Amino acid sequence: MKVNQTQLRAALTCLVLLLAGTAGDRAEANSLGGQTDKPIATKQQKRSLALFESHVSDYLKQRERVKAKLPPLSKDATPEQIAAYQKKFVEELRAMRAGTKPGYIFNPEIAEYFRTIIKTEIPPPDKAEIRQTILEADTKGVPLKVNFPYPETKELTQIPPTLLLKLPQLPNEVKYRYVGRNLLLVDTDNNLIIDYMLDALP
Amino acid sequence: MKRIHTYFLILAALLIFSSAPAVSPSQNGNGSGDGKVSINGGSPLKINLPTKDGSVRFVIIGDTGTGSRQQHELAAVMVKARETFPYDFVLLLGDNLYGNESPADYKKKFEDVYRPILDQKVKFYATLGNHDEPAQRFYQFFNMDGKEYYRFTKGNIAFYCLNSNYLDKKQLEWLESELAKDTSEWKITFHHHPPYSSGGKHGSDSALRKVVEPIFLKYGVNAAFAGHDHFYERIKPQKGIYYFVSGAGGKLRSGDVKSNSPLTEKAFDRDMSFMLAEVVDNQLYFQVLSRTGETVDEGVLPNQRKKN
Repeated sequence: MKVNQTQLRAALTCLVLLLAGTAGDRAEANSLGGQTDKPIATKQQKRSLALFESHVSDYLKQRERVKAKLPPLSKDATPEQIAAYQKKFVEELRAMRAGTKPGYIFNPEIAEYFRTIIKTEIPPPDKAEIRQTILEADTKGVPLKVNFPYPETKELTQIPPTLLLKLPQLPNEVKYRYVGRNLLLVDTDNNLIIDYMLDALP
Repeated sequence: MKRIHTYFLILAALLIFSSAPAVSPSQNGNGSGDGKVSINGGSPLKINLPTKDGSVRFVIIGDTGTGSRQQHELAAVMVKARETFPYDFVLLLGDNLYGNESPADYKKKFEDVYRPILDQKVKFYATLGNHDEPAQRFYQFFNMDGKEYYRFTKGNIAFYCLNSNYLDKKQLEWLESELAKDTSEWKITFHHHPPYSSGGKHGSDSALRKVVEPIFLKYGVNAAFAGHDHFYERIKPQKGIYYFVSGAGGKLRSGDVKSNSPLTEKAFDRDMSFMLAEVVDNQLYFQVLSRTGETVDEGVLPNQRKKN
């Protein structure tokens, strides 16, 4: 097959543009330890992310309604004040959310979105480290039950930043936690398990 | 024949139970980790730090929260050290309360242990470990100002407390923006997980290192203190930064330092320990004391960012 000069030039131009595009993506990477925030690839993923954020926001509204009724916790509280605050907070929140079912936030679409991110955006060497960190934590006995408190005696698994930086950002009031292979959303201040999804280990 | 077997079994059992615990080449000191101890055989502690007027003096200790007798014994060395080395504050490197976190636990695992130091108005600045609920950030004696990560200054030093258990984008952006405008002569970070460690159980947290080290380098962090591994280790400077592990404040993982680790400058994993530190102008002096009051490491490190 003969290729004329015009065709060759066009092909080279395409290649250069393609490479430039890739370089541009790389250049967008922020300086956070070289960890990149990969742009959301598909419309479906964008939709899933928006849905996730809206579910989390719904939870925050519920939470805020309860918190507004509590006396504020001082920044130099006694252990008794901390314990009383947490107890009241979790009791009121559980009552308000009574009957909440698993999948309230991690519905099948969002859970699939998370699995895709975890599967595709973490390089294999990081995956092995992340798995090791998560699985070495002592979380046996943590109940996978929505609207139940995460036991205070159990370790809070470190979420390796190489994973955390790839997951959708959460507000300060909510944290990701791992229990074995399962990903939980836990309230920062009262340890309530807000929701969980199964099989989310990289 | 049966009798010979029995003798052999008894002999083997005697050999097993009488043999000394394995000691890695990196270890020194003579603490046992078990029996009751007397501090320096009853003699005054030998403090080899300058204790100069106007210097910044502090303690670094991690993984404390057990309430055990050994934690009390180590705290007694801290109290005694303050008689000759009046430090002003303590960096608490996480795992401040193991297990339950009821008011009784705060009392048993922290307040009762460090009461003499608290009574002398020594401030503790805590970071969160993987055994610590975030609610600890509201606790009056941890001075976290309700924050999981924060900065404070003492003299010419800026201290950055990081929550390495949950280092998200917001925290990294905060760290980078604070460091970018920081004109302090010394920049010191402290966090629970160690970017470098020779621990057999945990070791270097390479995921953490991957994200924080470029920032440390870019903005001239001098030193980083961490716990998590239950021993003391001074890491050979990595890309010019001083890294320490001081995670034997309440628990000990005896013999856990990997022998012949290329990272180790000095390590001690035979008894519990804590660090004393003093910054005088461009010099960081440090001394590490065991539960018996023995000095297990000491030295002076120059400020890498200053041309002397």
